[in-house]
Amino acid sequence: MEESIKKPKRKKVSNNILSPKMQNRLGLLFLLPWLIGFIVFTGVPFFASIYLSFFRVEQTILGFETTYTGWGNYFTILFQHLEFNPAMIEYIVMIFTYTPTIIVMSFILAYFLNMKLRGRLFFRTIYFLPVIVLSGPVMFEVMDAGATGGEIELMNIFIFRMVYYYVPIAGEALLVLFSNFSIILWFTGIPIVLFITAIQKINPSLYEAARIDSASTWQILFKITLPLVKQTILISTIFTIAQLGIFATNPLSELIHESMHTSGGLGQASAMAWLYSIVTLLIIGLCALLLRQKKA
Amino acid sequence: MKNKAIRFITKGSIYFLLICICYIYMLPLLRMISSIFMPEADIIDPAVDWIPRTFSIMNIRVAFSVLDIRETLVNSVWYSALLAGAQTFVSALAGYAFARFNFRFKKVLFVLLLATFIMPLPVLLIPRWIMFVSVQTAVPGLQLIGTPIPQTLMAILGQGVNSTILILIFYSFLRLIPYSLDEAAMIDGASAWQVFWHIIIKMSLTTILVVFLFSFVWNWNETTQTATFLRGGIRLLPMQLSMFEGLFYGAVLDTDAQGAMLNEAYRLTATFITIAPLLILYGFVQRFFIAGIENTGITGE
Repeated sequence: MEESIKKPKRKKVSNNILSPKMQNRLGLLFLLPWLIGFIVFTGVPFFASIYLSFFRVEQTILGFETTYTGWGNYFTILFQHLEFNPAMIEYIVMIFTYTPTIIVMSFILAYFLNMKLRGRLFFRTIYFLPVIVLSGPVMFEVMDAGATGGEIELMNIFIFRMVYYYVPIAGEALLVLFSNFSIILWFTGIPIVLFITAIQKINPSLYEAARIDSASTWQILFKITLPLVKQTILISTIFTIAQLGIFATNPLSELIHESMHTSGGLGQASAMAWLYSIVTLLIIGLCALLLRQKKA
Repeated sequence: MKNKAIRFITKGSIYFLLICICYIYMLPLLRMISSIFMPEADIIDPAVDWIPRTFSIMNIRVAFSVLDIRETLVNSVWYSALLAGAQTFVSALAGYAFARFNFRFKKVLFVLLLATFIMPLPVLLIPRWIMFVSVQTAVPGLQLIGTPIPQTLMAILGQGVNSTILILIFYSFLRLIPYSLDEAAMIDGASAWQVFWHIIIKMSLTTILVVFLFSFVWNWNETTQTATFLRGGIRLLPMQLSMFEGLFYGAVLDTDAQGAMLNEAYRLTATFITIAPLLILYGFVQRFFIAGIENTGITGE
């Protein structure tokens, strides 16, 4: 994205009739509300929470009282807290199972939706629907209902029972996947749209050239389409991880939210939030590393 | 002939797959819809799966009264609209600045804008909360927590829900408006603000609608920050839903309808009622939503 600013095509903007000084002033002026907000509500809190995580923070009538504890908060969380480590593991497992499923499913769906099919718009409308209704409380209710009704329902399907009978492990795995499948799929809305746009932007003459050289559909898919949407895979992955982090079904953010108001205090909650963020950012960094565009 | 058969089978299986996945997508929603009219007897009856034997509006009445629909619906609508309005305005300003001017540290700021998106919320939430509480205690008579002020302030300063995406939508749309329009107006003596107000805003009415809709929906669904800053100061529909169980038994005790039990149908009906306004909205303007994401330009060119 940052590269796009450099594109010579946009040079026109810099040949502005406004002087550079004027542009500088006006640009910052229009950006001012965002800039203030960024400093006050994102920049300062970012550093403040590092600071807070080394303190014991107590709320009194007069305000907040802080006492320095060094690495105490981190030590307590990692070695003494009963819920933090399991929640962290659950969170990491969730990210590593959900994200690939979401990305693969949304690519497949986007690929199909790009074909000349009847009812394409209908399908798109349905697949985008969850973006509109997805929220914490709704997810809780749906998952609650799904956990009680879904499994029994699945056992009624003949093929599933057959699989379960012959290969119990596969059946078990399918059960876990399918009882959460609706929820997992509900995160694919925006990635699908991103993939559709990316696939549409691929130059059709590339396909033509490949077909003339007698490439099969599979070869075209793996040698042309996939490499060209790599950037989109990365963006969708980052987007998905961010979305999974925001939602209240995430075990860790629930825990952090609880400990804000209970015994551990705000210092401990900050330390938890930091550990959580470091893990999230590391995962995002890892994805960026794996999916980065190799400069030819 | 053989080719045709293969193509037919391929197409057929793609349709089959798409419809199957559609079904999985819709399953939670269908469950909700099916339980709306289901009386208590049919929920327990294993012979009844989707369609109830007798239709009752009991669930709706219970859900309406527990959610206190009249008050919370109105509150949710105006509160989301307020935040969405603020977010739209500031996103337009920021998008205009990024799309039109070359200023110092532009690239750095742009990267910071993108970084805001992946910054996990809990890290920011705690200091923000402390900040508002501190200001509140420092200034006597000022009430911040429990009022719409904190969230409105964050929205108008571009730090609301998914603000980054909203700014990017404006940014990539405004880059498509030819610069010569600005230039012509400026040669005729218009100031940058006049250009923004009379040209940019009027050219991007669709984009404004898209951004507003997204922001509205996201603010409607946002509960983490709302629970922290609003604290039930204004009762909102999704917040009521998250406390449904407690509210239900509270209501039962009040009306001495002893022995009334919370069942799944009540909860699913309440869930459906919470998202129904969004579904109606989506029904009317769904093409804007999809087009909005298509045009964000976050597809990476």
